[in-house]
Amino acid sequence: MILRAVEDADLIRKARRGDVEAYNLLISRWERRVYNYLLRIVANREDALDLSQDVFLKAYQNLRKLDDPARFASWLFRIAHNEAYSLFRKRRPEGETEEIQPETLEGAPTVGGNAVFPIELTLAVSGALRKLTADQRETVILKIYQGFKFEEIAEIVSAPVSTVKSRLYTALDLLKLELAPVKARGAI
Amino acid sequence: MSCSPFDLRDYYFKDLAENERRLTEVHVKTCAQCREELDRLRGTEAALLTLPDEEIPQRIGFVSDPVFQASAFRRGWDALWGSAARLGFASAAMLSVALITFALIRPASQSGAPAPAIDRAALEADFSRRLNDAVQRAVAQSEARQSSRTQELLATAEKRQELDIQAMRIRFNEYVEVEKKRQNLLLQASNPSEGGDAR
Repeated sequence: MILRAVEDADLIRKARRGDVEAYNLLISRWERRVYNYLLRIVANREDALDLSQDVFLKAYQNLRKLDDPARFASWLFRIAHNEAYSLFRKRRPEGETEEIQPETLEGAPTVGGNAVFPIELTLAVSGALRKLTADQRETVILKIYQGFKFEEIAEIVSAPVSTVKSRLYTALDLLKLELAPVKARGAI
Repeated sequence: MSCSPFDLRDYYFKDLAENERRLTEVHVKTCAQCREELDRLRGTEAALLTLPDEEIPQRIGFVSDPVFQASAFRRGWDALWGSAARLGFASAAMLSVALITFALIRPASQSGAPAPAIDRAALEADFSRRLNDAVQRAVAQSEARQSSRTQELLATAEKRQELDIQAMRIRFNEYVEVEKKRQNLLLQASNPSEGGDAR
C-alpha cells in the first residue's frame, strides 16, 4: 500500500514535467475506480465514460495545482464529483439534483427468463440505492465501494464530516430496511 | 436504540479514538443487542458489496501532441524572461559584493591627520562610475547574447513548421490521389452490376 502511494507520487511528478506516458500509467491505475464511481452516480455507461475522460483531462491540466501528491485520490474524486454534478445541473437547470433518478442499468443476466439468486440481490441493491437521495447515494458509494475515510469524503463533496456521517448512517438505515426482505429470503 | 457508550456505527467504520474503540469493544462483548446491531451493519455492507464493479468499456489514454506544446514564440519569450530575471539577480549580487569589498578595503581614517574629505568623495565617485560602467557592459553583452539566441530559436521553429506543413500537404495530396483511384475502381466495379439489374 505504501509502495503503491510512492509510485503514484513518482508518476505524478513525471506527469507534471510533461511525461504523458507516466500519466497514462497513472490513469490505468485509477480509471476503473473513477468509472465505477461515476457509473453508480449517473447510472449511464456512456455518460460515465465521457465524464471519466473529462476527469482525467482536467486532472492532467491541473496537476500542478495538486499540493500534496499523497492526496491524489481524494483530489481526483473531487474533480469527478464536480463533473458529475455539472452534468446534473446541465440536465436539470433548476438545480434539483436531489430529485434526479438515474436510469436503470440494463444487463442483469437471467436463467430461463427468471432472475437467479445473486442477481436478485444485485437488482435489489441497485433498486435500494436508487431510492436514496443523490447525496446519500454518493456517500455510500464513496465509503462502501471506494473505501474513503470520512475526512476524505468531506473533502470530495465539500461538506463537514458530521454531514457526511449523517448522510451515510441515514442511508444505511434505509438500505437495511429496503434489503431486509431479500435478506430474509436467504439471498445473503 | 444502541446502549453502547459510543456510536456503534463509528466503531464499525473505525472512526473512534483508541480508548473509545476499546471501551466499545468491551461493551459489545457483553451486549447481545449491540452485537446484533453490528451484524445487521455487516449484513447491509455485504449486500451492497454484491453489486460488482464493471470493467471500463474503453481504456482512457492521452497522446503527446506538439499542438499542446508551447509555441516557439512562447518558448523564446519564456527563455528571455527567465534569463532577464537571472541577469537582474546576478547584477544585484555583483553590486553587493563590490560594495562589501569596497567597505572592507577602504583605508581606515587616520587619527590626528584625517584625509581630506574631497579626496575620498572623488575616489568613491570614480569607483562608483567604473562599477556602473562594468555592470552596464555586462548587461548589454548578456542581452545581446540572449537576443541572438532567441532569434535563432524562432528561425529554427519557423523552419520546422514550414517543413511540417509541406509534409502534411504531400500526405494530403497522396491521400486524395489514393481516394480518387479507389472511387474510380468502385465506380468501375459497380457499373456492370447495375447494368445487369436493369436488364
